[in-house]
Amino acid sequence: MLLVLVAGTSSVRAQDTPDYYRQNCLNCHTIGGGRLTGPDLKDVTKRRDTEWLINFLQNPKSVVDSGDPYAAKLVEESRGVVMPIAPGMTRYRAEQLIRLIEAESKLEKSQFQGVKISNRPFTDADRKNGEAIFVGIRRLKNGGTACSACHSIYNLPALGGGRLGPDLTRVYERLKGRQALSAWLMAPATETMQPIFRNRPLEAEEIHALAAYFEEAARHSESDASTARITFLLTGLAIATGVIFVFDAVWKERFRGVRRPLVEDSVSRGPDSHREKTS
Amino acid sequence: MVFHLDKCIGCHTCSIACKNVWTDRRGAEYMWWNNVETKPGTGYPTKWEDQDKYQGGWKLNGSGGLDIRSTSKTKIVPNIFHNPHMPGMDDYYEPWTYDYQNLFNAPEGSDQPTAEPISMIDGEKIDVQSGPNWDDDLGGSPIYAENDPNLDGLTEQQRLQLSSVERLVFFYLPRICNHCLNPCCVASCPSGALYKRGEDGIVLIDQQKCRAWRSCVAACPYKKTYFNWFTGKSEKCILCFPRLETGQAPACFHSCVGRIRYLGVLLYDAERLEAVAKLPDDELVEGHRSLILDPHDPEVISEALENGVSEAVIESAQNSPVYRFVKEWRIALPPHIEYRTLPMLFYVPPMSPVQASRSEDTITHSSDNLFHDIDESRVPMKFLASLFGAGHEGVVRYALAKQKAVRWHRRAETVGDVDRETADRMLREADCSREEADAIYRLTSLCTFEDRFVIPPMHREQAIEMMKEPHEHREEAGFGFVGGPRRGL
Repeated sequence: MLLVLVAGTSSVRAQDTPDYYRQNCLNCHTIGGGRLTGPDLKDVTKRRDTEWLINFLQNPKSVVDSGDPYAAKLVEESRGVVMPIAPGMTRYRAEQLIRLIEAESKLEKSQFQGVKISNRPFTDADRKNGEAIFVGIRRLKNGGTACSACHSIYNLPALGGGRLGPDLTRVYERLKGRQALSAWLMAPATETMQPIFRNRPLEAEEIHALAAYFEEAARHSESDASTARITFLLTGLAIATGVIFVFDAVWKERFRGVRRPLVEDSVSRGPDSHREKTS
Repeated sequence: MVFHLDKCIGCHTCSIACKNVWTDRRGAEYMWWNNVETKPGTGYPTKWEDQDKYQGGWKLNGSGGLDIRSTSKTKIVPNIFHNPHMPGMDDYYEPWTYDYQNLFNAPEGSDQPTAEPISMIDGEKIDVQSGPNWDDDLGGSPIYAENDPNLDGLTEQQRLQLSSVERLVFFYLPRICNHCLNPCCVASCPSGALYKRGEDGIVLIDQQKCRAWRSCVAACPYKKTYFNWFTGKSEKCILCFPRLETGQAPACFHSCVGRIRYLGVLLYDAERLEAVAKLPDDELVEGHRSLILDPHDPEVISEALENGVSEAVIESAQNSPVYRFVKEWRIALPPHIEYRTLPMLFYVPPMSPVQASRSEDTITHSSDNLFHDIDESRVPMKFLASLFGAGHEGVVRYALAKQKAVRWHRRAETVGDVDRETADRMLREADCSREEADAIYRLTSLCTFEDRFVIPPMHREQAIEMMKEPHEHREEAGFGFVGGPRRGL
C-alpha cells in the first residue's frame, strides 16, 4: 500500500515539469512547431547559454530593461510582447524547464510541438457552432465554463456577456491570427482562466469552432458596453419593482398603523361633523 | 387578580408606581406595564381591542383546534425578516420629556422661557401627537372614543347617546398583564423565552433567551408585551414578583388610591384548560369560571397537596378575595375572554347613572332611580358585554344586578330610607342572600390591606424542585455575574 503511494507521488513528480510547461509555456512557445507569440524553443539551449536562459525565465522584463541586445531582438520579433513571469517560477523550476526543453528538442517529434491546428477553412457551420459554444448553448465537452460567463462579444443579446474578462470581438486580430489564438485556447494562461481550464481543456474541434467564430467577429466592431450596462440596470430595477409589488400583495393584510388613520379620518370629516351628528 | 371598576377613580397612581419601579429606563420609555384607559376610548396602543388589525389572541380553526392569529410554524418562515402584525411607535406613542434646562438657561428675552417637549427616542423637539392616555376622560372623543371597538355592537342611537350632553358617560379600565391561563405570548415565542411560572402562574420573559422575534408583541391580544429597543429584548409586567416573594403586594396594587385591586390565589384545573379554551363564545365565561376549584373542597385539597401545593398556599386560596368575587359571588368577569387566552385578571363591571334627556332647561331622567336602573344606565349593557362577556349580556347583567341589590340592601340597613321589602326582593332577583350582600359590601367598601391582598409564602426554595434536584441546583446557583439584558445571543 505504502509502496503504491510512493510510486504514485514520484510519478506525479516526474510529470510535474511537462505539466507546468503545458500550462504556462505552450500557449506561446512550441518545441519544433514553429513560432506562436513567442519563438519556437527547439534547440534554444544551443542559441543561448543556460545561465542567460535561467535569468531570463526568472525575470524577462528586467533582462529586457537591462538593454540586453538579444532580449531586445526577441521583443521586437514578438511585436512588443514581453514574456510574463510564469506563476511559481523559481531557479529550480527554470533549470528543470531548460532540461525538459533540451530533452524534447532531441526528439523527432516533441509532445510540445503544438496543437494539430487543422487548416480546414472555416465554414458557416463552424461559426454557428462556435457561437453556440461561446454563449453556452452547447456545453464544452470537458465541462469548462462557457465563454460568455466572463466575456462579451459583439452580437450577444441585450444584457451582454460577463465583464470579468475583456470583450473578445477583436481577439482574433489581437492575437494575430488563427494559430496563436488556437494555441492560447489550448491552455489559457491568465490567472483567472488557468484554474478553470487546467483540468477541463478545450477539445480541438471546439477550438476550431471558436476560432471560426472569433475570425468572423473580428470583422465587426466591439459591442457597446454602456448600452448593455444600462439595459442591465433597468432590467434589474424592473424586476426589483415587480418583487416589491408581489410582496405588497402577499402581505396585503399587514399592520399599517391605527391611530394616524383615525386622526386623519376625523380631520377629513371636518370639525363640525361631530356636532352635527350629536345635535 | 380582581379590579373593582366601580371604585376606580382614574387617577393613574398605579401607572406611575409601576413606571417608577420598572420602566423608567432607556428603551422602556414608551412602556406602560400598567395603564389606565377611559372607556369608551381606544386605549393604549390605539384600538388594541381591534384584532382584525392587531391579529392578537387565539382563534378556533375549522377542525376545532386553536390557532394563534398572528403566527404559526408555517407563517414564521416567510415572515422571518418582518413581522407583519407589529404595532408601530405611533400606535403606542412617541415618548417625550421636556427641555427643562431651557427654563434656566434661556437667554434674556421679552417673553417667558418655556420647556418644550423633546422626544425621548431621538432627542429632537417634537410636536406631541398622542400619549399613553391621550383619550383620558374622553379627551379627543370624536377621534378616539367614537372608535372604541366595543361600540361596534351598538345601534346608531345608542352610539349617539354616549356622546350627547347629559348622557355622556365614561369609566376607567386599568390594565396590566392578565397572566393568562392560556397565554398566547408564551405559545407564540419561537425561542421559548416566555414561560408561566409553575408556583404562582406569573408569565415571564427570560431576558437571556429572548431573541427579539417580537412574536409575543404581535400575539398578545391585550398588547401587554413590549419590545425594548435598547436591550433588544421584549418585556412585560412581572407582577412585581420580587415584591410578592417577600410578601408585599405588587406596586400598582399597593399604591391603588381607590383600593380597587384585589390579589389572591386561585386553584384551577389545568387539565381542562384546552377544552375550555375551545368552548363557543357564549360558554367561555362560565367555562373559565368552572376551571377554578373550590379550595374548601376536601377532594381538591388532597389533590393539591398531592401535586405539591403547600398548605400555606391552600390556606391563602381559601382566604382569597379573588375566589369570592369570581366564583362565589360571580360578579367579577374576565376582559375579552373571546380572545381565548383565559385571562386571570377579573373586572367587577362598573355601575353608571341612568340616561337623561334635556328639553329647554329641564333635565328628565329616563328612570326615577338615578343610579340603579341597570337597563337604563348610560353605559349600554351591550358595551359592557362586549368588554366582559364576549358579547353576551347575561353574565354582565348578573354582576350589575347583584351590585345594585347590595347597594339597596345596605341602604335599607344603614339609612333606612328605602323599603326593606324592595331591598329583599332585589336581593332575591339578584340571586343574593343578606349575608352575601354584607360580605360583598365589606370586601368592597371596608376592605383592609390584608383583606385585599392575600399573598401566600412563595416557597421559592420549593419552587425550584419542580425543575431541578435541589442539590444539583445548589452547585449551579450563586451570585454569579449579574448583568442586564443585552442585545444579541
